[in-house]
Amino acid sequence: MSRPNPTLFALYRHALRLYPYRLRLLYQAQMLQSIRDAHTDAERNSSAISFWLRLFTDLLKSSLKEHILMSRDEVMRRPIFFHALTLCALLTLMGGGAAITMQQMLRRDADHPQIEMAGRYAYDIAHYHIPPALVLPTGFADPSTSLEPFYILYDGAGKRLRSNGYLKDAVLPDPPPGVFAYLRRHPTDTFTWQPGPGLRIAAFAQRIDVDPGFDLNPNPGFILVGRSLTMVQRQEDQLRTGTFITWFFLMALLIAGALFLNRAQFRIQSDKSRAR
Amino acid sequence: MATTPQPESHLPLTPTVFAILLALADGEKHGYAIMKEAALPAGGGISLGPGTLYGTLDRLIRDALVEETGLTDDARRRYYRLTSLGHRVLAAETARLAASLRTARSRTAARGVRI
Repeated sequence: MSRPNPTLFALYRHALRLYPYRLRLLYQAQMLQSIRDAHTDAERNSSAISFWLRLFTDLLKSSLKEHILMSRDEVMRRPIFFHALTLCALLTLMGGGAAITMQQMLRRDADHPQIEMAGRYAYDIAHYHIPPALVLPTGFADPSTSLEPFYILYDGAGKRLRSNGYLKDAVLPDPPPGVFAYLRRHPTDTFTWQPGPGLRIAAFAQRIDVDPGFDLNPNPGFILVGRSLTMVQRQEDQLRTGTFITWFFLMALLIAGALFLNRAQFRIQSDKSRAR
Repeated sequence: MATTPQPESHLPLTPTVFAILLALADGEKHGYAIMKEAALPAGGGISLGPGTLYGTLDRLIRDALVEETGLTDDARRRYYRLTSLGHRVLAAETARLAASLRTARSRTAARGVRI
C-alpha cells in the first residue's frame, strides 16, 4: 500500500480549513483517513491526477455548500421572535418612510395653485406693466372659512399696498418680516404661515422686479399668495390614521404568526430530541 | 403532546442521502466503506468525496437518521449505522421510488417501450 503524494496530501489537509470550524473539528481526521484508504484503491483504478482533481473539486463544492447550510441553520436557530422583531422594525421604517413621502407630496400639491398664481401676477405687472388693480382678483377670500386663495401685494419696503384676504372680518396680519428679508436675496419663498390660532396657510411669495424706467406709483415689490391648509390637514390626519391602523394590524399579525411558529418549532425540536 | 417523527417528512431524499442510507442498510460501516458502496452501480453509483460524505453524515446524525456506533478500530476510522428512524425513512423512500418505477413501467409499456 503506497502513501498519497505528500505535497498534495499536505495541501489538501490545509485546504480543509475551508470547511466550517465545527465540521473540521469533528471530521478532519476521518476525511484524511478516507483519502489514505481511497488512494490505495485509486492507484489500481484511475490516474493520480484525476484522483486529486476529484478530491479538490469535491472539497471546493462541499465546503461552499456547508458554509451556506451553516448560515441557513444559524438563521433558523435564532428565536422566531428575533425575526419577528426585525420584520416589525423593517415594516415600521418602510411604513413610516412611505407615510412621510405621501405627506410631503400632499403638502407640495397644496402649494401649486399659489405658485402658479403668484408667478402670473408678478409677470403681468413686471413685464407688461399692467396696473395691479387690473391684474389681481377683485373677490374677497377668508382662509378661515374658505379654501379660496388670497393675495397680499407689498411695495419694496414691505408695506402693504392691497389685499383681498380677510380673517373673520379683520385684516389679515402680515407674515414675519424675515420673509421680506429673504425675498430681497432670493426671488421666491415657500413657507407655512399661521396668521391666526388653529389656521395654517400654505404661502408662496415672489419678488416683483419692475423695470427701472417704469413707475406704477407706487411700484410693487412683493406678492404673496396663500390658501388655507385645512383640506391638506384633513388628508394628513386621514393618512396618519390609515397608516397607524395598517401598522397596528400588521404588527398584530406578525406577533400572532411568531407565536404560532414558535409553538410549532418547539414541537419539532421536542420530536427530534425524542427521536434521538 | 409531541408526535412521533414521520419518515415521510424527510422525503424525497437526495441521491446522496439515499446512497448513504442504502450503504448503511445492511450494517455499520466507516466513511470510506460508505463511499465505496455508494460508488457501486447497485449502491446508487454516486461518487462521494470526503467533504460531501461527512457533511451529509453530520446532517443525518442531527436529523437522527444515522448514529455513530461508538466502536472503532482506529481513532481515525469511526463507524456509523442507521437508527430505527433511518431504517423507516429508507423504507419509505424505497417504496416511493418503487411506486414511481411501477408507474413509469406501465406508462412506457403502453407505448411499447420496456424498462
